Amino acid sequence: MTGKSLDIPARRYTGEKARLSRAYDYLILVLALFLFIGSFHLHVALTVGDWDFWQDWKDRQWWPLITPLMMITFPAAVQAVLWPNFRLPLGATLCISCLLIGTWITRFFAYHMWNFFPINEVLPATMLPSALVLDAILMLSNSLTVTSIFGGMAFALLFYPTNWPIFGMFHVPVEYGGAQLTVADIFGFQYIRAGTPEYLRIIERGTLRTYGQYATPLSAFCSALLCTLMYPLWWYLGKAFATTKYVKNI
Amino acid sequence: MNQTTDKAVSAAQAGEVDTIVNFKPAYITMGVMLVFYVGIRIYEQYFGWKAGLDSFAPEFQTYWMNLMWTELPLEFVAFCAIGGYLWKTRDRNIDAVAPREEMRRILTLIGWLAVYAFSVYWGASYFTEQDGTWHQTVIRDTDFTPSHILEFYLSYPIYIICGWGAFMYAHTRIPQFSKRISLAFLMFFAGPFMIFPNIGLNEWGHTFWFMEELFTAPLHWGFVFFGWFALAVFGVARQVLDRVIELSKEYEKDALAL
Repeated sequence: MTGKSLDIPARRYTGEKARLSRAYDYLILVLALFLFIGSFHLHVALTVGDWDFWQDWKDRQWWPLITPLMMITFPAAVQAVLWPNFRLPLGATLCISCLLIGTWITRFFAYHMWNFFPINEVLPATMLPSALVLDAILMLSNSLTVTSIFGGMAFALLFYPTNWPIFGMFHVPVEYGGAQLTVADIFGFQYIRAGTPEYLRIIERGTLRTYGQYATPLSAFCSALLCTLMYPLWWYLGKAFATTKYVKNI
Repeated sequence: MNQTTDKAVSAAQAGEVDTIVNFKPAYITMGVMLVFYVGIRIYEQYFGWKAGLDSFAPEFQTYWMNLMWTELPLEFVAFCAIGGYLWKTRDRNIDAVAPREEMRRILTLIGWLAVYAFSVYWGASYFTEQDGTWHQTVIRDTDFTPSHILEFYLSYPIYIICGWGAFMYAHTRIPQFSKRISLAFLMFFAGPFMIFPNIGLNEWGHTFWFMEELFTAPLHWGFVFFGWFALAVFGVARQVLDRVIELSKEYEKDALAL
């Protein structure tokens, strides 16, 4: 481990050795791909699912609060393994890509093709821009603290702006039966859902303590603060799950 | 120097004959699984609408309940058979396993894990979220909806069987996993396994506590908790890679004791 070992010229792996080392790349990437499409998607569907499924749940208060908070979990845990152990700066992007692959397949083949909800009603939210920034911050800073604070904040704050181009058009107001609705509301009313009465939606309804138009930035900053705490929590949880301990019996 | 080169050349030649890296069985299994689940998806497209809307109708018995009464015993038999077979054919002289053979077995284990991961995709991602849309299609009149028959009683047991197979393969073939129990591997298998009993709670809750179909209801968070255990795959990966590094250190010398 002195300078001497660096003098050996680098040689490409060939033959069986190359095949072996590539076989272990599968262990990390292909396996993780399928596994995290499965488990991260399960986690997201059962914690923020309803907001993510339906256009008329994507509000200004709850959706931007809960989505980043629940979606920073696996990225932090996977980064905690892939970056320190393998110097792979793609933990968050891997997780979020897996999630999007899983959700898109299901939205299209189940929500749309099986039960005929229009795809525009069931578009998933994206966290890809947030994940790219999170990965970049970890890679550049190589610091858990810096990534927690700035990465966690960016992850949440970028959520609403980066989704706005997708979902903004559904906020166009429409006069419908003498009432003012958004296009998203009309989706909810028009394409009947057997188990979602309107009052079940957990969305902003206004309070006497809300001032002006500030619901979204407030939610985003609240989420940002919580994400800075969630990030290290899940970092250490990821580390704990990646234990190399053995036990004698069970 | 010369000797090393000769050895490396002969090792490379022998490597061509005696391959270590063979993911073909895993790919074939995944291919079969893909075809099977696509078939299931086509089946539900027809019989979900034709026979799956009213659980009190006789056609529901024919097309859906019969499916469930068929799949459950088959899965139980498969679970016992895979565990039993792997145990019966275990390596009884595991200390004598040569490095090259150990490397081959580790790669077979990765094939098992890939199959497990693929089956987790179908169970935890596709069929789980698919249930979210069926919740919005029927007002449920049974615990055993078409979607549940496929999600809980087909795709979950299948991934549990795959995980069990991977666990037992490692336990009976690979020295580092046979003498002691890897904590990560145990979590990796047992966490998603625990989702299955959690279904009981879920069905009980939906049946006896009046609940609207909020998908993010706390009743569902047990699934989430056990889903986290998939992260233990990295513990298994680190344990495997530690061993691979040990084995590879000698690679130039003897090409894994070929």
